[in-house]
Amino acid sequence: MHDFAIVWSERSLLLSGLANTVVLTVLASIGAFALGAMLCPLLMRQERAVAWAAHAFVDGFRCTPFLLFAYLVYYGLPTVGISFDSWGAGLFALVLYHTAYVAEILRGAWAAQPKAPVEAGHAFGFRGFGLWRRIVMPPLLLAAGPVLGNQVIQIVKDSAFLTVIALPELTHAANSIQSRHYVPFAALLTALLLYWALCLVVEAGVAAVGRMAEARR
Amino acid sequence: MSTAYRLNVAGVSKRFGSLQVLDNINLQVAPSETVCLLGPSGSGKSTLLRCINWLERPDSGRVLIDGQTIGVTGGVVMNDRALAAMRTRIGMVFQHFALWPHLTVLQNVMEAPLHVLRRPDQEVRAEAEALLRRVGLFDKRDAFPARLSGGQKQRVGIARALAMKPSLMLFDEPTSALDPELVGEVLAVMRDLAQEGMTMVIVTHEMAFARDVASRVVFMDRGSVVETGTPEAFFTSPSTERARQFLLRYGSASSF
Amino acid sequence: MSAADWLTLFSGALTTLGLSAAGIALGLPLGLALALLRWARVPVIAPMVAVYVSVLRATPLITLLLLIFFALPSVGITLGPVTAGVLALMLNGSAFNCEIWRAALMDLPKDQIEAAQSTGMRFGLYLRRIVLPQIARAALPGLMSEMSLLIKLTPALAVVGVVDVTRAAVRIGAATYEPLPPLLAALAIYLPIVYALVSGQRWFEKRLALSEAVA
Repeated sequence: MHDFAIVWSERSLLLSGLANTVVLTVLASIGAFALGAMLCPLLMRQERAVAWAAHAFVDGFRCTPFLLFAYLVYYGLPTVGISFDSWGAGLFALVLYHTAYVAEILRGAWAAQPKAPVEAGHAFGFRGFGLWRRIVMPPLLLAAGPVLGNQVIQIVKDSAFLTVIALPELTHAANSIQSRHYVPFAALLTALLLYWALCLVVEAGVAAVGRMAEARR
Repeated sequence: MSTAYRLNVAGVSKRFGSLQVLDNINLQVAPSETVCLLGPSGSGKSTLLRCINWLERPDSGRVLIDGQTIGVTGGVVMNDRALAAMRTRIGMVFQHFALWPHLTVLQNVMEAPLHVLRRPDQEVRAEAEALLRRVGLFDKRDAFPARLSGGQKQRVGIARALAMKPSLMLFDEPTSALDPELVGEVLAVMRDLAQEGMTMVIVTHEMAFARDVASRVVFMDRGSVVETGTPEAFFTSPSTERARQFLLRYGSASSF
Repeated sequence: MSAADWLTLFSGALTTLGLSAAGIALGLPLGLALALLRWARVPVIAPMVAVYVSVLRATPLITLLLLIFFALPSVGITLGPVTAGVLALMLNGSAFNCEIWRAALMDLPKDQIEAAQSTGMRFGLYLRRIVLPQIARAALPGLMSEMSLLIKLTPALAVVGVVDVTRAAVRIGAATYEPLPPLLAALAIYLPIVYALVSGQRWFEKRLALSEAVA
């Protein structure tokens, strides 16, 4: 119990770690969803070279451990002239890595969508960005909601890897507290519970999207 | 002379691989005509219909809407924007309804006038509600398409097409996907439209409806127009053998 | 990179494979046991399993590993880095496996069990001979997906001092001041292993779909 009191006294550090985790997750999710949505059509293009390159990108990242990729960005890129600080490297790695997963998720969801409503969109004069935003994307996002929510949870967990490049997110904060005050159980259990809480928030969001999808099914 | 036609299909041909789906089709439709395209499956009727608004691209020939060529300008394929603009003048009703599932009934009807034609919200809403009343679905305006029966969905589909105030309406087997007891409500709406003077091209298997409502029937078989004429002429005394065979097999089906 | 460096890298790769295999081998049956507990709705325990699974699926492996390695000594259990690593992989994996096994269990038609019970088979027997063979096939693609995910988590073990292939690569880079080559070499080691698993998973998915279509 005394241990938890120590953790409580360090709560500002812990909360700032939590805030950083949340910021990382939100920014990386937005980035990965946006880039993934742009990459997805390339996966399905007729031109073999384009589709093949896009598939290589996606498959490459799906076979790579995130931490290794983070190291490549943080330690490897400077040797070819691109230098990142921890935040830059962390965000860059999270966004790029998860773009590949989001693109594949959207591709799978798209394959399962009926094509007639999109054709109706064309017949009524929709095209380009308007067609994509008003006719193609909404049903796709509703269908892919749960899987995309799962990906956000993956982003939360991958953010914890960034402690090794000294990014002050939640695990880093908890580890710092436990090693300085010798309260490993209290500090790390608190971190665990905070991750769990984050996950429950994401799942609540997914459930809300699920209800919207259900109403239209 | 050709500018008097609402629709002029001139020498349209199309193949899918080695199959000649459309073979030098010529078809002129005057304003307020209701033309029914009849024929066995595989005759190319739906493909012809879809060539009219360029959902399918003809390999050769031209399609003119009110004298203006669609799909091609001065020998060059039209850009996206020009094609989309021309399509706003043609209404289409699909066999499987193709309503937008994420939008309510009212939103479905309002969507294209609002976001393609960019007309003001108040105006579009008022017209959409009027259209829904006309097809008998005003009380379902806030429902999602998934909650509607097939006949209701198709009536919404018709309202959605009418909302764009098209000069020409295309119907691709509008009742083929419906349970028999729901067919009547859709045909009733289409009959009213025809009587009000809408120019319509309808691909259908509903022989009684065609006989009753069409101003002209066009019989197609294996990619060509075999026979055209008034419904009376076609149904009582067809002049070609193929038409006769077809009517023997399908002509007795009547559900209206 | 010198020959000695390559040797270090490959020894790290063996560590990766060994720890992954151990984590998978232990996590699979544990996950199945947890799934069965929830499926059988054992009172008191089933909800606890649900909470366990929910928490572990939300926990980053690194955080779990730190908790096991640093917190357990305070209750008298001191684990070496490798043991702690395998334990973390096993617990993490079991939570995800549990959900995959559960999905397969819920897909199993109830009348399969009713048919077995009607012949007088009891739980242990029909579990072994009727339920498991069927759900093992259905769960296989998901489990293979989990295996590839587990391998991608193993670099986390470096934080407690386990020298896996990623850690080896970082060390070599720090010593030679050329971080890029060893990292790329490590990547080249991971890619075929994970790709093989992912391809295997896709193959099984196709076979499963085909056999279900025939049935």
